[in-house]
Amino acid sequence: MATHNLQNHTLNGDHCDSTVPSSKKPKLSSPATTTTIISHSQIQSEFSHHDLSIARINNGSFGSCPQSVISSQKQWQLQFLRQPDHFYYNQLKPGILHSRSIVKSLINADHVDEVSLVDNATTAAAIVLQKSARSFYEGRYDKGDVAVMLHYAYGSVKKSVEAYVTRAGGRVIEVQLPFPVKSKEEIIAKFREALEKGKENGKKVRLAVIDHVTSMPSVVIPIKELVKICREEGVNHVFVDAAHGIGCVDVDMKEIGPDFYTSNLYKWFFCPPSVAFLYSRKSSGQDNNDDLHHPVVSHEYGNGLAVESSWIGNRDYSAQLVVPSVLEFINKFPGGIEGIKKRNHEAVVEMGEMLVKEWGTHLGCPPEMCGSMVMVGLPVCLGIYSESDALKLRTHLRNNFGVEVPIYFRAPKDGEVDPVTGYARISHQVYNKVDDYYKFRDAINKIVSDGTTCACLPN
Amino acid sequence: MENKDPPNGESAHHHQLTKKPRLTRFITESEIREEFAHHQSGIARINNGSFGSCPGSVLAAQRKWQLKFLQQPDDFYFNTLRKGILHSRTLVKDLINADDVDEVSLVDNATTAAAIVLQQIGRSFADGKFHENDAVLMLHCAYEAVKKSMQAYVTRTGGSVIEVQLPFPVNSDEEIIAEFRKGLEKGKASGRKVRLAIIDHITSMPCVVTPVRELVKICREEGVDQVFVDAAHALGSVKVDVKEIGADFYASNLHKWFFCPPSVAFLYCKKTSSSSDVHHPVVSHEYGNGLPIESAWIGTRDYSSQLVVPSALEFVNRFEGGLDGIMNRNHEKIVEVGKMLAESWGTNLGAPPEMCAGMIMVSLPSRLRVMSQDDALRLRSHLRSNYGVEVPIHYQAPRKNGEAAVKDKDGFIMAYARISHQVYNTFEDYCKLRDAIYQLLDDPQISKKLFAE
Repeated sequence: MATHNLQNHTLNGDHCDSTVPSSKKPKLSSPATTTTIISHSQIQSEFSHHDLSIARINNGSFGSCPQSVISSQKQWQLQFLRQPDHFYYNQLKPGILHSRSIVKSLINADHVDEVSLVDNATTAAAIVLQKSARSFYEGRYDKGDVAVMLHYAYGSVKKSVEAYVTRAGGRVIEVQLPFPVKSKEEIIAKFREALEKGKENGKKVRLAVIDHVTSMPSVVIPIKELVKICREEGVNHVFVDAAHGIGCVDVDMKEIGPDFYTSNLYKWFFCPPSVAFLYSRKSSGQDNNDDLHHPVVSHEYGNGLAVESSWIGNRDYSAQLVVPSVLEFINKFPGGIEGIKKRNHEAVVEMGEMLVKEWGTHLGCPPEMCGSMVMVGLPVCLGIYSESDALKLRTHLRNNFGVEVPIYFRAPKDGEVDPVTGYARISHQVYNKVDDYYKFRDAINKIVSDGTTCACLPN
Repeated sequence: MENKDPPNGESAHHHQLTKKPRLTRFITESEIREEFAHHQSGIARINNGSFGSCPGSVLAAQRKWQLKFLQQPDDFYFNTLRKGILHSRTLVKDLINADDVDEVSLVDNATTAAAIVLQQIGRSFADGKFHENDAVLMLHCAYEAVKKSMQAYVTRTGGSVIEVQLPFPVNSDEEIIAEFRKGLEKGKASGRKVRLAIIDHITSMPCVVTPVRELVKICREEGVDQVFVDAAHALGSVKVDVKEIGADFYASNLHKWFFCPPSVAFLYCKKTSSSSDVHHPVVSHEYGNGLPIESAWIGTRDYSSQLVVPSALEFVNRFEGGLDGIMNRNHEKIVEVGKMLAESWGTNLGAPPEMCAGMIMVSLPSRLRVMSQDDALRLRSHLRSNYGVEVPIHYQAPRKNGEAAVKDKDGFIMAYARISHQVYNTFEDYCKLRDAIYQLLDDPQISKKLFAE
């Protein structure tokens, strides 16, 4: 099987990639041979800076970064501090281009111009939504035209939609998603309903903001199908918020076909805080995908988002520069990023099923709708009756049991008898061990056997 | 003192800034060298103005914060981050004499601060609150990033941009004030309102300390809605008293002259009715809770450079006279070496010493034949690569209107070096520049080769 070493490929220049846009995703990594596979103790060493007294089963919130990448980052930082002018003139731009080229190949984009690096998905959302705002203000969209987003969209994105779409005169429709969810068909049906509502009274649906993996509660959304429906229904722009995307689910721009797609690289792709990419598909026509700008306007304004984002004033760009080092780290694992994803998925499902069996509850969605995270129902007797209860329980687990896991409050619906109202979102990343989940299991068992409920817990 | 880990409460710190620390002795020369040992040796680094500098002890403090996050990020987010940022903001508030810590936000850099202020203006044009063609005023030599920000947020939404010429070389505050008044008149022409004036406290290129207090006063007298002082270089260069200066918005970097790592800046927003509509453009959970709170969480990122302000202050207080002492000595030194260079080359300073802080413009001999901004950049690269001197070069086009151009014995002066002095610089750094220029002058072939197409 012909493979190629990506690093040589991009270092020689980008022209190789752009001349033949293939539909098949190129192989990125040479599969690790037995002599180069990272060992269990090496993995432990790479994450030895983690607080080892904590069962860290929340990779989803803040991600993780191995020592070798942190060292690489320090080297970049030092380069700048030594001689910043030289760094600025001679080293920064080629370094960022190199990182962007790697991302382009990872996500099967056609052209490196389509790939920008920004701080995080929150920033990417602001960029896309500001474009929509301008379209409203400048009269390309009518007041009352619609932006559709999921009810479970990330809190920051909801506020961003408020700040930029609602404020500019757009109407926001939320897709109500069931949770727990049984199948992707449930999601697809609700999404169609929302689009219909959006097109009422002769209005147009200008933007759909769709999570690839929702945050809380966490579910993998059938994104390919939803993008297809958006195209069929004439939605102008589709923006996929895949904060949890790369390293967690399959990220292939040609497969998914969005206008805009963002994913963090520090959550599941081992970069330090913080870096994300924003993909913007090259399109033509009146309401195309141009007119994207970084809100922090600097010298490069007007030179395309990717170039604008590579200089937004003096700051530490080192997190964007270590992508090559991250790829090196990932390729020490069998199957590279694909192998890591697969094993994380299997492990988290296994642990999730172990826990729900223990507590007599259920998972929040079927395994095929999970990536590297899964929602695990908590015992009803814990008495989780509000978001504040969920937070109290989380704090209690951290402070008294050394377990770090986010808790989701699911409001009961009318007619439900004794429903599960609390779910833990457990993550699995390469540094996790079975003991981490046993520690969580035992903690909950102790709380239950002590008769402790959320009402007893301090604020 | 200020060096403790995240505090239990910030009230204690209001008083600590004014008390001189009980040191047994001040920082020594060799300790200073040690603190900046990571700077590349062999380079005459006389450009502190562009990217600033950060001592080893502050970098070490930064690494501790970074490690704390990596060890247990959830705990850091819930229990450590906000307190740390509040502590930094409180120290800044005291440093700049603001009334209330709610008026102080921390952002990445002055470029971000400008975007925040200008987005607010842009929204007012877009919402119809301002009339089309209402004016926003800036200096013609405003920083390029700010000019682009004006394009993006003012021109694009229907506002007019008025540029005020900064005379250069300049001889007195009065010259600047006169031009500014002219610009304001132009702004108010045809009954337009001037919605915002952007005034640099210290211009970047060419570099001059402006009479910012007088200019703000004139703005108030002339009915300008709001004044934004872009003071990218100010903190650690000149005295910063935001109440005295009296602007609505004031922004300064802390990584240029206040020893913070890249990058952190503060944006001061005077409490008035319109200051509630400033927002960080990266909208996150805290949207609507006030700019300082919004800026304290704009998604997951490394906030460590915002968290080391206490450590930077500790470093500053190891010097005799603290920040004032450092500023005074930097100023004295840069004027001294500026004059030395001007005398050596037979040229002049771009502004009188009282209009300089830690940087000064020294004109280069006309015989070098720098005839464009491209030439200036090539000269800068040549000095870096061939002489180990890092200094930005400014091309000053000859004045029109028949005004007397500045000359040396060989012709018209069109290029200036902007030299900086920070605590790590030595006299030899400037001798290196002096001698490099001598060598270039000695060999006219080199000059030709340098600037030929």
